[in-house]
Amino acid sequence: MTTSGLRILFSVVLLLVLVAVPYVLPALGATFWVNIVSEILIWSLLAASVNLLLGYVGLLSFGQALYFGFGMYGVVLSINTWGVGFWPALAIGVIAASAMAFVTGIFAVRLTWHYFAIITVVFSLIFYFAAMSTKWLTGGDDGLSFTPPPVLSIGSFRLSLADAEVQYYTILVIVMACFALKYLLVNSALGLRFMAVRENDRRAALIGINVYFTRLAAFVLAGALAGVSGALFAFFGRYASASYMFYHVSGEAVVWAIVGGTGSLLGPLAGTGALIVFRELVSTAWEHYLIAVGAITILVVMFMPRGLAGGWDALIQRAATGKAGTSETAGVAEKA
Amino acid sequence: MSAAAPALSISGLTKRFDGLVAVDGLSIDLESGKLNAVIGPNGAGKTTLFNLITGEIPANAGRIMFAGRDIIGLKPHDIVRRGISRTLQIKSVFGGLTVMDNVRIAVLTHERMASPFRSARSLRSAARRTEELIAEVGLSEHSQDLASSLSYGDVALLELALALAAEPKLLLLDEPVCGMGPQETERAVNMIRKLSKRIDVVLIEHDMEVVFDIADYIMVMAQGSVLATGTASEIAANSKVQEAYLGTPEDE
Amino acid sequence: MLSSHFDLTPSYGSRQNPICVKWTTFSGHLVNELVFALAVNGLVWGLIIALIALGLSIIFGLLDIINVAHGDFFMLGTVGGLVIAVSTGSFWLALALVPLFGLLLGAIIERVVIRPTLGQASLTIVTTFGLSMIIQEVVRATYGAQPRRLTPPINGTVHVFGLDYDIYRLCAALFAAACLIAFFLFLSRTKLGTWIRAVRHDPETATTLGIPVTQVSAFTFALGTALAMLGGVIAAPITTVEFRTGVDVLPFCFMAVIIGGLGNLQGTVAAAVLLAVLEGLVSSFTEPTMARIVSLGFMSVVLLVRPHGLFAGATR
Repeated sequence: MTTSGLRILFSVVLLLVLVAVPYVLPALGATFWVNIVSEILIWSLLAASVNLLLGYVGLLSFGQALYFGFGMYGVVLSINTWGVGFWPALAIGVIAASAMAFVTGIFAVRLTWHYFAIITVVFSLIFYFAAMSTKWLTGGDDGLSFTPPPVLSIGSFRLSLADAEVQYYTILVIVMACFALKYLLVNSALGLRFMAVRENDRRAALIGINVYFTRLAAFVLAGALAGVSGALFAFFGRYASASYMFYHVSGEAVVWAIVGGTGSLLGPLAGTGALIVFRELVSTAWEHYLIAVGAITILVVMFMPRGLAGGWDALIQRAATGKAGTSETAGVAEKA
Repeated sequence: MSAAAPALSISGLTKRFDGLVAVDGLSIDLESGKLNAVIGPNGAGKTTLFNLITGEIPANAGRIMFAGRDIIGLKPHDIVRRGISRTLQIKSVFGGLTVMDNVRIAVLTHERMASPFRSARSLRSAARRTEELIAEVGLSEHSQDLASSLSYGDVALLELALALAAEPKLLLLDEPVCGMGPQETERAVNMIRKLSKRIDVVLIEHDMEVVFDIADYIMVMAQGSVLATGTASEIAANSKVQEAYLGTPEDE
Repeated sequence: MLSSHFDLTPSYGSRQNPICVKWTTFSGHLVNELVFALAVNGLVWGLIIALIALGLSIIFGLLDIINVAHGDFFMLGTVGGLVIAVSTGSFWLALALVPLFGLLLGAIIERVVIRPTLGQASLTIVTTFGLSMIIQEVVRATYGAQPRRLTPPINGTVHVFGLDYDIYRLCAALFAAACLIAFFLFLSRTKLGTWIRAVRHDPETATTLGIPVTQVSAFTFALGTALAMLGGVIAAPITTVEFRTGVDVLPFCFMAVIIGGLGNLQGTVAAAVLLAVLEGLVSSFTEPTMARIVSLGFMSVVLLVRPHGLFAGATR
């Protein structure tokens, strides 16, 4: 079987597994784990937004929690204030996050490397402190709660998030749609521009690429991904809180993205999944499991710079060709 | 625009770095249809001149007229779109991508293609143009290789393909044969000669043998301004040029 | 229904900020005296923060890494100071021992965590973030999660400029200032200091001059760690001592380093003092969070307009 054939097969199997979750896990007596899988799906989008920036345009953002927070509050405030439905609220959350990413990106993408990482933290801290001190609007630390409107309501037919299956599949469909869009993006002409900027921004400008706008486009799209993540998390948790805008949330997303493998499409899902499952399994037995998470982060950076997805990729390659990975896929975006 | 319009017309161009004058009120018209070469001792300001033309560093004063417009103050990517491409002294390509994708990006950018949804690899006309360019520089058998795995000479050729993808009217080559072996040099020289038939070419080169062999017109720079201009034989006979080179021998 | 890993993101904003001023000390005084007191308090904190930020700055300037765990080194200093002072009964012993631990710890961390990833600029942010998680969690596991306070080794107040001011705070400020002077003398007067400056300036030339660049880099990291921990011990009696203090201190140190100019040591010190005094003054007429937002905004402007810092020459 060819490499790409194996990848497609793997993607299909993964999708089938995810679809089967609400039936299989409860049957195994692990109903609680359905929610864990939902959480993994949601957070993997935040990791994907870090991944898009770091893996495809070469910018390390330590402030994606800001756009996550805007996604959250976009949903909660629009429902509490205007009483809008599920989809408009989701759209408002994503638009709020993207708009914020656009406004901050105008300044942030003028900088690169350390400076970019620092300014993204600084922007997120400013809004974190602002959200913390505007309690009347954001609820500050305690947050705001709300009752989610039905996902779909036609006559007497209603799909409500209160139904565990409806909630899971709503999340699954939206997250998978985001990954599908990201797949299209990284294989598109714009995606190639991203990679050109990542590889060599001077040469990129010298073939006629507007490096600034390319970075800004990536930053806004990453903000939108973080926004979807935050919006879904608000629906999932039935609340929004300013504490999710703190830079530790951004940092966690960076850890998930790096452990999963930057520059790979499903890396964020792998990294988020591995670390959240690890947390669930270990934290009950060992309160201080974060020591292990920190150690894993450092070890992955040192010994597995392409992350779990990179390791998996090498395995697939070996299975397909019977030998160790060649240069064929490195840097190419079509890894599934 | 008359038929005799120069390829590039520079007047009073000045660039200072922290009080040090790198390009000092330089004025010159580079004729169209000729292969122009810029030579001069190290530190004469040749690469700075290229950086000013491509908009990578801002000028302190002066004008650069290209295709009927002053291009001073334009961004590098705008200048590329107006028809000036360049190669760099230290060859620069997209190392982590395949040769094919390198050229494809340049072609798509030239075609103003930036759709976020259509697969870049399925665009027919761009794919055809990409293959043509790769064939033109002679890298067809390497098209699936990573750019970072190419030999030095092949990287230079790939960089040339990237520059050509923008269909430039003017091509600036910064030391195109620097670091090449004799065979690679010959291949590159032939390619440049062929290109200069249809594109205006300006090159910076230290290898005098190459310069005197291919250049129609030579401009000698020293201390940021024009020391002499003329054909190869005129320059060879120019006493000021000899002085500049003998007075400050190059340590290469 | 949300699961446990959000313990990571507690309510930092609502807790006592160690940099912010303790209002209670001054209640009952006239407004202009209060403003003055807040400025003095800012100065005290500024000098201590300057020590910590200096550590961050030399590490950045020489090794080109952003050390996200630097705030946690400070926290280790406060915790180490409290533990030693309480168990031996002598704060002064803690003051002597903790920086030595800092040197040792810094040297070990440099060897095990930093050196293998040097040269991958952005990845060091990730490794030091992992380090930060480990340090905080180890402290929480051993020292506990409960905030504690350390009684100052010197009690009492002095009457200066119409104010009763805590003697220990004045001593801390003077001691921090003395340490800053000693540090700059070390850089300019000793062979090791000259080496550090040479490597900062140009590692390649330094190598050709026979300077052991690797060892100098390792020592610089250790020294930076020791400075942060020294700042921690000095600050221990005037702040709450717990595993999360570093999280609050880190942004402030970064502001000082950025506004002072990345790698510009004198600039870092000046910016730390300036910022702390400014925050002290701003928080005298508005809430501390607002003061923090103002200085963060100031910092972004500096980053965008003068990336080499406020005090850099008129380049760019």
